[in-house]
Amino acid sequence: MSLSRIALFTLACGIAIVCLTSAAELPRNSDYDYDPPTPGSYSLPVVKPAADGALLDSNNKAISLRDLTRGRITILSFIYTRCAAPKACPYATNVLGQLHSLSAQDMVLAKNMRLVSISFDPEYDTPQRLATYSENVREQGSGCEWRFVTSKSRAELAPILAAYDQAVNKRQNPADPQGPLYHTLRVFLIDRDGRIRNIYSSGTLDPRLVVADVKTLLLEEARVSKQ
Amino acid sequence: MKTPINSQLEIAAIWHVVVLVAAFALTFTSGLARADETCSSPYLARIDGQEEFVYVWTLGVEGMGDGADKLVTVDVKPGSPTYGKVVSSESVEGRNEAHHGGFTDDRRQLWLAGLESSRIFIFDVHTDPAKPKLTKTIDNFAETTGGAIGPHGAYALPGRVLIPCLSNAKDRGGRTGLVEYGNDANYIATHWLPTKDDPRDAADAKFADGYGYDARVLPRKNALLTSSFTGWNNYTMDFGKLTADPEAMKHFGSTMVMWDFHTRQPKKVFQVPGAPLEIRWAWGDKHNYAFTATALTSKLWLVYQDDRGEWQAKEVAPIGEAKGGVLPVDISISADDKTLFVDCFGDGKCRVFDVSDPQKPKQIYEKQIGKQVNMVSQSWDGRRLYFTSSLLARWDKQGADNEQFLRGYAWDGKELKPAFDLDFTALKLGRPHHMLFGSTKIGANRATVASRD
Repeated sequence: MSLSRIALFTLACGIAIVCLTSAAELPRNSDYDYDPPTPGSYSLPVVKPAADGALLDSNNKAISLRDLTRGRITILSFIYTRCAAPKACPYATNVLGQLHSLSAQDMVLAKNMRLVSISFDPEYDTPQRLATYSENVREQGSGCEWRFVTSKSRAELAPILAAYDQAVNKRQNPADPQGPLYHTLRVFLIDRDGRIRNIYSSGTLDPRLVVADVKTLLLEEARVSKQ
Repeated sequence: MKTPINSQLEIAAIWHVVVLVAAFALTFTSGLARADETCSSPYLARIDGQEEFVYVWTLGVEGMGDGADKLVTVDVKPGSPTYGKVVSSESVEGRNEAHHGGFTDDRRQLWLAGLESSRIFIFDVHTDPAKPKLTKTIDNFAETTGGAIGPHGAYALPGRVLIPCLSNAKDRGGRTGLVEYGNDANYIATHWLPTKDDPRDAADAKFADGYGYDARVLPRKNALLTSSFTGWNNYTMDFGKLTADPEAMKHFGSTMVMWDFHTRQPKKVFQVPGAPLEIRWAWGDKHNYAFTATALTSKLWLVYQDDRGEWQAKEVAPIGEAKGGVLPVDISISADDKTLFVDCFGDGKCRVFDVSDPQKPKQIYEKQIGKQVNMVSQSWDGRRLYFTSSLLARWDKQGADNEQFLRGYAWDGKELKPAFDLDFTALKLGRPHHMLFGSTKIGANRATVASRD
């Protein structure tokens, strides 16, 4: 099976899982075997400001990362579409898909949450490819904003990866069944003012925790506005 | 609108998931050997293949070499012409009571802590893993963290490091906290250990002493467990003077705390008398338990989830039979959760326990490593173990008993056989303490690939 077919297969399995779970309560499972916290019962300290950078959206239009990390509570995920490691990019996109489906049933999330998938493989992940990818992974016409972005070049991407501490290396074997790149899994929770409030990776990217965190930030906003 | 391919996949979704799981299992059981440390953070990018270097955070000794603390890199590549030799040494400023350290989750940086100075030294181990370079120093730790001092080590979390501390700037006693920094050394938060007077809703907080030492996470249970040692006043005191001072000896930790990891809120305090030190969570998918050893009472303790899902702590085995104890210090669990190596500073022995039944550990072997021994690091395949000698600058043995070494051993499941021996005194390096594995081949973290492979 070619690498691109493996990646497509892995991604498609993720989509299927999204479809199966989106209408139900997000389940407790053996990977996340605990009850999620009550939103607002804890705080999320500021990690650091979310950096800006020059990107291209899936319509090949120049866009600033700053515009995607302000004004809404943003879940930002670094991915590449050729990734076939089931618990890496396909898993992250699957989680964003679950959040997107949830937001279709929750007006508060739909209005206040934004999802951003940013590729660190600009040579392969062209705007056109991302457009196709996005059609495959999200329900159309409902749910919160979900943007898929890439960059013009590695040179434009490099400062973004550095600012978000996103490690990416080429594998020694470009035909590796997991995909041609090694990377840490990084998904960021960014508040409406553009401040990183949490960083998720494998082992912490539990959609129930992400939802609890988003709602915690919404409650924090409500408290601040009352004051 | 969904695409046709999605519609087809919806019909076959369950079958695809089954196939995916099977493919995943095949991929990771037939691939590279995994040989990373067994005691590292599950969030840490792991080494693919065998470790190539052992990094040794080494205390400087006045009058020995440059007298400064240093990061010593030892080549452990089999067949290398420099196998078992020092290939680089990078000194930091002064002597800081070099103690423990840890990588950032991407394994690009190694953070090394100074217990006495509360400074943290950050090394780049990515550009040239054979020759780490000091790139940054945090030297305002107490001011930045709101008074936490005595950073004990650094534990990789996603995009950040967790630094469990031992003391506080106010009275230099045992009350302390957990500190978080981002990977780019920006301070994030301090979480103080609960006390009787500041219980923060933790169960059994009447026992809480506020002391700290180690902090380790079991991700799938959202469980953060901490242990407790002693404060700056004690760990900087001469060992003979300390043990002769009944008042000082009262100031040792006797608790462990279970936290909600995500919220960083303490949930339950356990009474574990005698300074419970290193924490080792089991790796098995259904193994909901961790071991620790109590330094002053020479016992193995188990923290486990009972049938009702409640976390409990219980003493499960004595360590050694010497009167007064053998001062167990570091412990290392094998990747299959069957074997626990326990280093005992008091008599210089490593004791090996069969912990297949975690409720009933049985000692199966012991080996004299040196006149004194402190840290032990084990490869993921369980075949190689490395030992160092130094505990604390003022607690190490004196005279001829003050051996300072890094010793490599092979383990065949029955006995430890020497592989190499580096005399850190003869090499004028100092007192070797914490060891961490390095490599040029770094992959994804263990949580990404599987909990066990």
